[in-house]
Amino acid sequence: MLFLSRLAITLMAALGCSAGDLLTLPEHFRPDPFGGIVEADRSPGAAPARTIVMEGARASFVSCHLLAIMTQPGDYSLDVGSFPAASGLQVDLYREWFHYLPATKNYYPDALVPIAAQYRSKLPDPDNRVANQTAQAFWLDVWIPSGTAPGTYRLKAALNADGKLSTVPIEVKVLAALVPAEDAVAMDHNTYGTSWLVTDYPSLSKPAGDAFFASDRYFELIQAYHKVLYENRGVFHQLGYGHGGKVGPEFAPRLEGTGKSRHVADWSMYDRHFGPLFDGTAFAKTHLGPRPTKLVYLPINPEWPASFLWWGEPGYEKEFLNVVGEMERHFREKGWTNTRFEMFFNHKKRYKAFPWDGDEARFPNDTAYMLEYKRLLQLAVPPDSPVKFVFRTDSSWTLDRQAKDLAGVVNFWVCGQGELAYQPEVARALKERGDTVWTYGASPLVTEPASHIALQALRPWIWGIDGFVHWMATDAGPDPWFNFAGGAEALVYSGDRFGVGAPIPSVRLKLQRNAVQDIALLNEFRKTHPVEQLRAEAARRFNGTELKDWWSPRPAYADKDPLDRTNADEGVPEGPKFHEALDAGAWQRVRTYVFDLAREVK
Amino acid sequence: MRGIIAFLVAASPLLVGQTQLSAEARAQELDRVAKAATAMVDGDVCLHIQTKRSIEFLQKKDPRDPWIASDNFDVDHPAFIQTKKTLMRLARLCPEACDANLWMPLEGNPEPVQVLIRNVYEMSSFWNWGNLHQPMPDEMKRVLTTGERVTFRGKRGMISVLAPVYDSLGNIVALVEVVSQERRDLQENVK
Repeated sequence: MLFLSRLAITLMAALGCSAGDLLTLPEHFRPDPFGGIVEADRSPGAAPARTIVMEGARASFVSCHLLAIMTQPGDYSLDVGSFPAASGLQVDLYREWFHYLPATKNYYPDALVPIAAQYRSKLPDPDNRVANQTAQAFWLDVWIPSGTAPGTYRLKAALNADGKLSTVPIEVKVLAALVPAEDAVAMDHNTYGTSWLVTDYPSLSKPAGDAFFASDRYFELIQAYHKVLYENRGVFHQLGYGHGGKVGPEFAPRLEGTGKSRHVADWSMYDRHFGPLFDGTAFAKTHLGPRPTKLVYLPINPEWPASFLWWGEPGYEKEFLNVVGEMERHFREKGWTNTRFEMFFNHKKRYKAFPWDGDEARFPNDTAYMLEYKRLLQLAVPPDSPVKFVFRTDSSWTLDRQAKDLAGVVNFWVCGQGELAYQPEVARALKERGDTVWTYGASPLVTEPASHIALQALRPWIWGIDGFVHWMATDAGPDPWFNFAGGAEALVYSGDRFGVGAPIPSVRLKLQRNAVQDIALLNEFRKTHPVEQLRAEAARRFNGTELKDWWSPRPAYADKDPLDRTNADEGVPEGPKFHEALDAGAWQRVRTYVFDLAREVK
Repeated sequence: MRGIIAFLVAASPLLVGQTQLSAEARAQELDRVAKAATAMVDGDVCLHIQTKRSIEFLQKKDPRDPWIASDNFDVDHPAFIQTKKTLMRLARLCPEACDANLWMPLEGNPEPVQVLIRNVYEMSSFWNWGNLHQPMPDEMKRVLTTGERVTFRGKRGMISVLAPVYDSLGNIVALVEVVSQERRDLQENVK
């Protein structure tokens, strides 16, 4: 593979590239550090070009790669100009980090380091340390505000290397169509607790010492995670309690008393953490503008706010009602009525703290606990409350049984994707009764084609459900920079090594965002087109499939008692059109369809 | 029994106030609670906590399903709850935040040991996070064979006192780990 990349450089030199050349690639052809395209994204005819034209609707981003290519080591400067001020178009530039993957012995770009529009460095990049590197890649985001007049706008980017100038024209065609602020599918990014922030941000945590977890920088850092994902049309979930019921002090109000005297003693840490998220001010300086965060885990678990010591006795109900009632009042008085507060049980009995599984329940006698918590929540929250409490469960083994047993109890379902895939009737039933339905899974590795991340956004929309959870989005591994496992559990990275005291986005996150905004726009056309027609055409363009191909046949194991099932039971695998045969350009074909529809908008 | 429990719970608001104890004083306080644990925890009930089916799966290995034991881990709810509540009450006797964890050897296999009930601070000098069972530490072996209480100074400033749990026949069937930490990590194990 390295040979092919080097060949690309040789060919470019033969085609007239000088010592410093600036080239472009569309977003779905990710560059390698030698002037070529990464193996996963290569397709016939794809190659860096001397210009690029991007098309986009208003209130959305368009993106591309810029490649600074130098056949000889040396200094360079990159200057990305600006669009005419009247256009309102705004440019964000990032340096792409080339991660080394020992498993495949090659490099893939993913982490995006924010840089200024005028940038100076050298090749090979002294920080990235890629031997014989001849190309530095940059990710260019262009934000098209909702008020931009439709039309074509241009800027020039210039590379200066060894005193020679290389420029590329960049053209953005702005359509009249407007991407709605509300997404048709929610892309969620999950993590657990905050202890990992200490190791991920030594520049922040070490100087603060013991005071780190109470410092302003700490709360700003948490909010920065919400912000980077919000800005990229995503949601961030951070679970604040452990399997034994230990609640992080920043995830819950401090309680005092026992039994009937149990009450909230102090909201200050909780409000400091969540206030800017619930009123939207944490998102003030984003292109998408300030809006309250959509969803949040509550700290409720079998040990909070009521002590499990009183389970089954009057004190448990009293402690629960006292505190959850206070939460409802506090949220209402603060005006936090646009966020959905999730009562969600993550604990598993295998961690030995409670006798029942809250997460991925498997045993029939665990259901009674869920019914009891629904009863308690109903008692605690006035029926006419404007505060949105929801009861969420993550379900896999017993999805069909839980869907029946917990009808009217759970109203937010996060389903194992493989389980829901053969149960379209369950998805339909849940949606028909008004429940929210997501699926969950891991993120595609960087070594998979660029379109694979879009599949995770498209599938829920094709299925007629509401979202997808990347079950772990912040764990890039012990050394993502030089010894990377591929990023199945990371879509953002710590910015610490780059002097950024905040998470930085990834190429995959940006690709996902661009797909999500396309789906939001596509979904708008259900006002004028049958939605099944829209879905069918998107599926056809994406991977040449029909809608029925997106559901799996019922596997043999599905008819077993859930307790007799194992992870070794083989499901019916999806066809290659969803995997190895899914090319990097798949999403571009959907985008073309969306924009064909959008061009009809005047 | 009920009277003792009522006393413990009534006293708990005073007892749980955070104090700065020396390591020696902490160990003495934990030993006092561990001694009470031997008196209070019902070994016959402990023997009923893990279901027979779960025990059968506990040491199963399947190369195609690395989670076969944990996915089938299950407990008898009344036995678990009764014992956990006793442990929680015992923990309220500590003058500072502490946990009382229940450990049991595996049925028919004296070598491994498993934590069977943990508590809210998620502290243990011995538990490797997520392990269903693990090799038996020498300190636990000593408690199970001699009936002595054993004090152990563990990782990150933890002190544990291990105490035997007896069934009605006088057999040592389990042990309780009463554990506290010099400086609690409020964020650890929130995951």
